[in-house]
Amino acid sequence: MGSWGFIGLAYGVGSVALLLYLILLKRRLRDARDELAALEGDGGRGTR
Amino acid sequence: MGERTVAAAVPWASERRRAGARPSLAAKALGAAAVVVLATGLYLGLAVVPPDAVQGEVQRIIYLHVPSIVTAYLAFFVVFCSSILYLWKRDLRFDAVAVSSAEIGVVLTGITLATGSIWGKSTWGVWWTWDARLTLTAILFTIYVGYLMLRAFAEEPQAGARYGAVLAIIGFLDIPLNHLAVQWWRTLHQPSSILRPGGPSVALVMLVPLAINFAGLILLYTYLLLERIRLERIRHRAAETRLKRGRRG
Repeated sequence: MGSWGFIGLAYGVGSVALLLYLILLKRRLRDARDELAALEGDGGRGTR
Repeated sequence: MGERTVAAAVPWASERRRAGARPSLAAKALGAAAVVVLATGLYLGLAVVPPDAVQGEVQRIIYLHVPSIVTAYLAFFVVFCSSILYLWKRDLRFDAVAVSSAEIGVVLTGITLATGSIWGKSTWGVWWTWDARLTLTAILFTIYVGYLMLRAFAEEPQAGARYGAVLAIIGFLDIPLNHLAVQWWRTLHQPSSILRPGGPSVALVMLVPLAINFAGLILLYTYLLLERIRLERIRHRAAETRLKRGRRG
């Protein structure tokens, strides 16, 4: 592998790691928000 | 029992306005600024700055490798301070900051190890060697992965926060040791060329993309930290809601 191959590999790994973390974080946020909305929705119905 | 303690100690989670349903404007601005600054730094580092006289083109990996580890150090410093504040005040807001910052620090340390390994293969001819700097960085990574595992598997949230805080404070001692390792021992890793007595030994033309990428990663870290803390806030609010429903039921 030439120098630019190593450079591409390093920047590729770095970019993929950060992007993957961001995507997973957004997914966890969406799931947590959905769970909270479901809980608060159920709670609201229960008190009516 | 866990939810009871979370809800009792997290009044911030019950404030609907601040429950973090959407990212704040500041977080969005930080994310956008991070993309612009990192794109500028990467363009300068990959296309504008001349190759290093000794290492050649492959030295360009340093424009990602060094800002990653410095930002990881900052992330673990935030964990260190937040953990001390948590043990002192027993306020889960500090714990939320600590666990959020630790997660991002682990990602950045992983990137540092990976990019360093790739640079090592091209320069030294090996992917890994048990050099003091490399080994201490791997230990740092392992300590904070252990911290996250401890937090994930703790059945009692406040006990997990307490033990985690102690581990985070002790684990932080690895960082000054890691920084000084290249001065104390004969290492294959080059000595510090930026944070050293007498100022940086790197040419200004190479310092500029390093500084810009560092600024970009700080912005990205801050954006990710705000988003990760938002996740903690939503989780705490869900725990509090479950507890209230349990009380009514």
